[in-house]
Amino acid sequence: MALLYVVYVLIGLSVFFALAGVVGMLRMPDAFCRMQSSTNIATLGVLGVIIGGIIYAFAFLHNGEMGVKLIVLGVFYVVTVPISGHAIAKGAYHHGVRPEKDMVCDQYGEDLEK
Amino acid sequence: MKKATFPDILSTAILLYCFWLLITGQLVSLCKGDPNVQVLIYGVVISLGVAVFSSRFFIHESPFYLYNPVKWVMMLVYVVCVFCIELIKANLDVAFRALNPALPVHPGIVKVPVDLKSEYGQSMLANSITLTPGTITMDIAEENGQTYYYIHWINVTTQDHKAAGDAIKGRLEKGVGRIWK
Repeated sequence: MALLYVVYVLIGLSVFFALAGVVGMLRMPDAFCRMQSSTNIATLGVLGVIIGGIIYAFAFLHNGEMGVKLIVLGVFYVVTVPISGHAIAKGAYHHGVRPEKDMVCDQYGEDLEK
Repeated sequence: MKKATFPDILSTAILLYCFWLLITGQLVSLCKGDPNVQVLIYGVVISLGVAVFSSRFFIHESPFYLYNPVKWVMMLVYVVCVFCIELIKANLDVAFRALNPALPVHPGIVKVPVDLKSEYGQSMLANSITLTPGTITMDIAEENGQTYYYIHWINVTTQDHKAAGDAIKGRLEKGVGRIWK
């Protein structure tokens, strides 16, 4: 039964991180910082649920097929999410999105102007 | 674009077939001892067919480099011991920044030198950095033989290339360096 509480704690933690990510997305000053906060949801927010689901599927449902599919889901998730994040950030910068509040430094913009 | 050679196609097909076994659920049936032979044979045909067309996009370096149990152990150590700890630390940091009433963010884009030579290693490190909350890799550039990442960083503490690199990717780069050259 102790394992069931591990599943509960994992899912509860991921709910906390998803909440923090949403609050961050609403409060952050510019587009790039909002993306940083959304990574919060995309990593521990989702991975906590997936890992909890894997433990639940193997230990309580005794459904190996479901557990293996969840593992594959987690692997694909981890591999594909950063690519879209990178593409959005680069696309936004080249399209002309600039932070309203000044950035501390912008070494990318300096090198692009060269 | 280089031409696909037979080892390229074979190594892609093996990887695709592993995913076929996982996704169709045949791996579990194989362990239990009653696999569906038809599905297994479809898998061979389909993964070979897909590999013929896709291996030249997928394989850029030595095709069987990763078919090496030592590398698998290294990768498991990297994912479980190095990456997970950095991920949890960064997640807590960004979560408390977002929930803090004062909203302490100092965003900026820094340029960071990277010493990895392998293309796969570079993209794995860039993806690890992007997955860590608080840092997003925006572009990769090469200057005078040295590779640079442009990284959007939510809390810029230093603008020096080297020091910023140590702060962002210090342990990650060592972990990736053990898997790829």
